[in-house]
Amino acid sequence: MAQTRSRIRNFCVIAHVDHGKTTLSDRLLELTGTVSEREMRDQMLDSMDLEREKGITIKARAVQMRWRGRDGLEYEMNLIDTPGHVDFNYEVSRSLAACEGALLLVDASQGIEAQTLANAYLAVEQGLEVIPVINKIDLPAIDLDVVRGDLRATLGFRDDEILLASGKSGQGVADLLHAVVERVPPPVGDPAAPLRALIFDSHYDAYKGVVAHVRVVDGRLDERERILLLATDKQSELLELGVFAPDARATTALECGEVGYVATGLKAVADCRVGDTLTLASRPARAALAGYRPAKPMVFAGFYPSNAEDYTTLREALEKLRLNDAALVYEPETSQALGFGFRAGFLGLLHLEIVQERLEREYDVDLIATSPSVEYQIRTHRGDVVTIDNPALLPDLSLVDEIREPWVRATIIVPTTHVGPIMDLSQGKRGTLTDMSYVDPLRAMLRYDMPLSEVIVDFYDELKSRSRGYASLDYEFAEYRAADLVRLDVLVAGMIVDALSIITHREKAAHVGRALTSKLRELIPKQMFDVAIQAAIGNKVLARETVKAKRKDVIAKCYGGDITRKKKLLEKQKEGKKRMKMVGQVMIPQDAFLAVLRLKDDSP
Amino acid sequence: MRGIGLYVHIPFCAARCPYCDFATAPATTVLRGRYLAALLTEISREGAALGRPRVRTVFFGGGTPSLLEPDEIASLGAALRSAFELRPREVTVEANPATLDRARLESWRELGMTRLSLGAQSFRERGLRALGRTHQPEDVEPAVDAARGIGCDVSLDLIFGWPGQTARDWADDLDAAVALGVAHLSAYPLELQLEPDEGVANWPGGGWPTLERWRRAAEAAGPGDDGVASLYEQAEARLARSGYRHYEIANWARAGKRCLHNLTYWRNGEWLGVGTGAHSHLAGRRSRNPAALLDYLDRIEHGLGRIPDPAAEPALDTAMLALRLDGGLDLSRYGHRFGAAARDRAAAALRLADGSLVDTIGGRVRLTPRGRLLANEVFASLLP
Repeated sequence: MAQTRSRIRNFCVIAHVDHGKTTLSDRLLELTGTVSEREMRDQMLDSMDLEREKGITIKARAVQMRWRGRDGLEYEMNLIDTPGHVDFNYEVSRSLAACEGALLLVDASQGIEAQTLANAYLAVEQGLEVIPVINKIDLPAIDLDVVRGDLRATLGFRDDEILLASGKSGQGVADLLHAVVERVPPPVGDPAAPLRALIFDSHYDAYKGVVAHVRVVDGRLDERERILLLATDKQSELLELGVFAPDARATTALECGEVGYVATGLKAVADCRVGDTLTLASRPARAALAGYRPAKPMVFAGFYPSNAEDYTTLREALEKLRLNDAALVYEPETSQALGFGFRAGFLGLLHLEIVQERLEREYDVDLIATSPSVEYQIRTHRGDVVTIDNPALLPDLSLVDEIREPWVRATIIVPTTHVGPIMDLSQGKRGTLTDMSYVDPLRAMLRYDMPLSEVIVDFYDELKSRSRGYASLDYEFAEYRAADLVRLDVLVAGMIVDALSIITHREKAAHVGRALTSKLRELIPKQMFDVAIQAAIGNKVLARETVKAKRKDVIAKCYGGDITRKKKLLEKQKEGKKRMKMVGQVMIPQDAFLAVLRLKDDSP
Repeated sequence: MRGIGLYVHIPFCAARCPYCDFATAPATTVLRGRYLAALLTEISREGAALGRPRVRTVFFGGGTPSLLEPDEIASLGAALRSAFELRPREVTVEANPATLDRARLESWRELGMTRLSLGAQSFRERGLRALGRTHQPEDVEPAVDAARGIGCDVSLDLIFGWPGQTARDWADDLDAAVALGVAHLSAYPLELQLEPDEGVANWPGGGWPTLERWRRAAEAAGPGDDGVASLYEQAEARLARSGYRHYEIANWARAGKRCLHNLTYWRNGEWLGVGTGAHSHLAGRRSRNPAALLDYLDRIEHGLGRIPDPAAEPALDTAMLALRLDGGLDLSRYGHRFGAAARDRAAAALRLADGSLVDTIGGRVRLTPRGRLLANEVFASLLP
């Protein structure tokens, strides 16, 4: 049963990572009686079990709650969850598009961070009513005035707009709900117009197919209708619709302004993309809602099975993962060194790591991942432009007019005491400072334009280590820019190992080559013969190291005839070898293919 | 019946050597009396269970057997004689220099000792300190003389690759050992295991963290694999020059002086091991006693037998062990013992091993000098 539209509030909670979003959301569920305190724990356990069983995310991402306002009326409060990482910015913006308001959480002990700002700007851009909340006020030794000052200075809030809360103790949480009722406007939209529902999230359910999480913008949706997705032009008989409260609860209709789910019966999330518009096949909307674009992969890496026989397992695992992750793209690829595998594209490094970890943990695939690369645009003398996402495919530079690489706009917030080292780092990463300002007297905000390729290689880790963990980072794609780039090849025992090739700036090539060969010398174990490791551009060798031949292994006596101990050791040794990749005559361990991510120890 | 080998483990030591992984315990432990009683119980029980077998060789290892008092040695001897048909061709006692006195030696002689295995480790003061040993270089020679005085052969243990050891140091150690004219030499590289063994629990004090710290520091300060390989080659050359036969990866002997007891291990023969941490191989089955003293006592006092070790694979074990010896693996004899299929499997695996590691001549596969340093490569190729 739907409320009248004036009593619906659609809102989300946005925050920098670790600023207490999850805890506060749990408190909201509890305080509104959506979930009891006892259920809260049961609920979480249950859903984790299920998630493990089915390998999908079941946790409701849009929960319907009821709340009695200070005016004595009951409101339908739809809380829409947002992903917390920069990689998933696009998803965040789609979640925001389903709301009229946002609670902007700021950790009382941390103040504003880079993603606080990025998320706040996104919310403002979408025209949301933003309610600033200083969270974790139960912590000792906090200075609320400094945080208030941050919010005033960077986002222009007034002190009387700022709420105080503690997701942990529950203090101030009721006031947040009242503020949502009073400050966030009810949804607008035309109930009589053809249905337009924004898909802001989706998950795959083994029984119901793709379940779209939607916000009905115009019109209404009844059960047993045939639906149409405007971007993918897919039609389907809808299986079920309902709301999460917090479990999926089937209803008969979703009204204009409401938030809920639609079990589409479609078989792949790729057919039901986040950002797409869902309408009725019988009475389609003429125009899609603004803002749909496919999630664009920014980072690419080769995924190869350690054992060639596992290729099919890897392919099937990727297929299954893609069912639930529309942002994951991949296609078959062949490497001379690694054999048959896949080149996969990701939203960012975190996304890559998540996929890699899931493949290894959930699908038990022993994987070799190559160093991540960005997508380059190459204009040849003949005038055609090709894009490549694998350094090994860079054509001969004598045929190339220009190579362009993606640049990002990065925002870094850092204590003023660490600005120097962070500027050194960013300059070393070819960044140009475009703006510098102060969030508060103790913290500066730096804006840099930087090549994405530099950001994805240990920039974040270095940022954290050079600021003792205090710096925060956010970035977004800006544009493609021409650059003087070269392909650096690595030769192991005289053979080019294509999976180790990287594209780097010409001026940095010699340094990177030295660091890379020296790191590889550490990572490649001694073999039965000397192994030369060279870094070269074309025929020009820039650096050379040698892994000396192994001269001895463990000689140890047989402890009182204990051959078992010895055999265990040998079996371990043999297992270790199995996990390595034979390239020519040389055994190369898995992590060597990611050597380029681990050069920082050797950098000046 | 050809008889079996008998290994008797005496865990007590005056101090714990920080590199050692054998089952050891402080000589002053309050459990000492209980241990010896349990050992005698185990000896008589095993002797009866095996039908009082003939014992060909006895090896008293440790720990430091030379710390036993004459009365303890005597009761051990009596127990052994009543449990086994004791007509051994060789009785070895391990000893630390500076623990042997005339009264103890006399007791061991009465028990039938023929051979003294002396943990000299180094003749360099710096070496002994680097290894955390408590004796002095000058303690070795009197111990050798004393053993010879009662008609025993002497074997010396040396350790190389200790932090700070130079080629010169090692040459001096080898010269000193050769100058003493010992019948047998074992030379082991300092190899530091970085996982605790059960026996750690037997010692009071800092426990494993202290040992681990010491080992990591020693490892870091050591000569590394290349350095150790050079020292090993140096020993091979030096000892060959003085007529020692390099009959096993880490063992050298003058003619007729190989250690018969250890040869039983390497030929994958049968032996009974009694005492804490001891291993046995009887009737094709391997088994062991716990290395933690209290666990061992508990088992014996409750009448429990040894812990079976399911990892015995006779064909594989035999091949791996045989390759340790200079005689290598005789494929036709191996085929008679384990069948043609096992023989062909081993031969094929060894053909695939790096050609510089093994030589096959006249149906015998032997490790080359390089293969002795890289024996694990060869052994690993035999694994299924």
